[in-house]
Amino acid sequence: MMEDQEEKGNAENGIGRQKQVKDEYLLQFLDSLDGYLTLLDSLSSTLSQGWLELASARHAMGASRINGALLDLKVHAAATSLKVSEQDVDSMESQPCFTLCKWASSDNGERSSGEEKSLSPQLRHRNNSQLSGIISSPQRQKSLSVFGVLVSPKLRSAQLSFERALETLVEIANLHTTMLSMFEQVHKELENTNG
Amino acid sequence: MYGFEAMTFNIHGGYLEAIVRGYRAGLLTAADYNNLCQCETLDDIKMHLSATEYGPYLQNEPSPLHTTTIVEKCTLKLVDEYKHMLCQATEPLSTFLEYITYGHMIDNVVLIVTGTLHERDVQELLEKCHPLGMFDSIATLAVAQNMRELYRLVLVDTPLAPYFSECITSEDLDDMNIEIMRNTLYKAYLEDFYKFCQKLGGATAEIMSDLLAFEADRRAVNITINSIGTELTRDDRRKLYSNFGLLYPYGHEELAVCEDIDQVRGVMEKYPPYQSIFSKLSYGESQMLDKAFYEEEFHYGVFFAYMRLREQEIRNLMWISECVAQNQKSRVHDSVVFIF
Repeated sequence: MMEDQEEKGNAENGIGRQKQVKDEYLLQFLDSLDGYLTLLDSLSSTLSQGWLELASARHAMGASRINGALLDLKVHAAATSLKVSEQDVDSMESQPCFTLCKWASSDNGERSSGEEKSLSPQLRHRNNSQLSGIISSPQRQKSLSVFGVLVSPKLRSAQLSFERALETLVEIANLHTTMLSMFEQVHKELENTNG
Repeated sequence: MYGFEAMTFNIHGGYLEAIVRGYRAGLLTAADYNNLCQCETLDDIKMHLSATEYGPYLQNEPSPLHTTTIVEKCTLKLVDEYKHMLCQATEPLSTFLEYITYGHMIDNVVLIVTGTLHERDVQELLEKCHPLGMFDSIATLAVAQNMRELYRLVLVDTPLAPYFSECITSEDLDDMNIEIMRNTLYKAYLEDFYKFCQKLGGATAEIMSDLLAFEADRRAVNITINSIGTELTRDDRRKLYSNFGLLYPYGHEELAVCEDIDQVRGVMEKYPPYQSIFSKLSYGESQMLDKAFYEEEFHYGVFFAYMRLREQEIRNLMWISECVAQNQKSRVHDSVVFIF
């Protein structure tokens, strides 16, 4: 009798733990879904802002100074790259993990993983330590130099907006894989319960 | 105060002054802008513009419209009007009218040179050039490797030749050299235009002095703001400012050392005409340009003012079109400058 009660207790504990695990997966799935939708919304508004700032820059500087015909077609290294790695989730499966390497320079065949490298100056350098982060990165300025060296602050703001949008896209991609993984877990748990 | 322009101006300039005053009456009004700002699509904008002088230029454009198409067609109207005035003008008005377009010529030269540096197709670049700044040998710019060749092969036979004396080097063209070339050319052009107007004398000299001084000051502010945080040193920045204008020379000394927008604002507020500059810069300029039409007669300033007002109008249309196309109508009043 006592053994029956103990077994019954253990079975109830097991069911409780299973339910707890299922709830946990479900909560994680819903959290990731919520984060995903929030990031999509954020991406949309960041891109809208970027496009408007670009239009504003074209309005200030003139269409002849900001247009697609000025983009550089020479072969050159990408200023920003995306690294895809496999991340172990629970030693049973792995999911892709996306990392953005911003302003990575491979001019000398070396990758600097987002660290800033100074360019060889064409004019005398100023001390940039007092300047805001918005305009101090040489790589950031170099990528805008296709439109000229003295560009409107609106163009720099547009650049930052599109940079933010790119970061958001990578976050969305990572969250998407997490969300799919959680969905699989929830689905598996449901099947186990029904089975 | 001035010469006896009233006695002699109409002999050669009367017809064209009447023409340009007629053109001026065709500028968009506040009511037109209010209608345009309420448009939902670019086709609505086209429909509203069909009732204005831009109508014939846009009527054959198929849907869906693009903002660049609207700007191109409106610019064509300005070009047609300018060419009509130029072919009817005699000296010195014809030279004056040509001076108005040298800024566009400089922009086109820089566009071709920059695009070539980036290995773009010359035909593609020519399509982006401003029609008022075209000249015969412009496509040949693509073969130049440095500024000396640029001058020797192409620009020596253009009106920009005298402005090149401070730019000629044998250094290969790159983004920085091109930027310095652009600003040095524009500085030389403005100063030359200023001297030409002074030589004309009379009401033209008086009115154009103010207009060109404003242009030089506006340029100085733009250079200052755009160079904040870049590698351009104070000395290099100062060298790009024109040698005339209300801000010359003390304002330039202060602008050269500005590190942020607040410091620029502080400098400009010391000059009464520019005290509200950051809130009303473009509007102030439009008022000043429009004054050239009303305050005096018998001077060439009306032609310069008309061209600038039309260009401002085209910029307004561009901004309104972009806001409508991007569904950002709440931002339309950020940059529209009402001329009337």
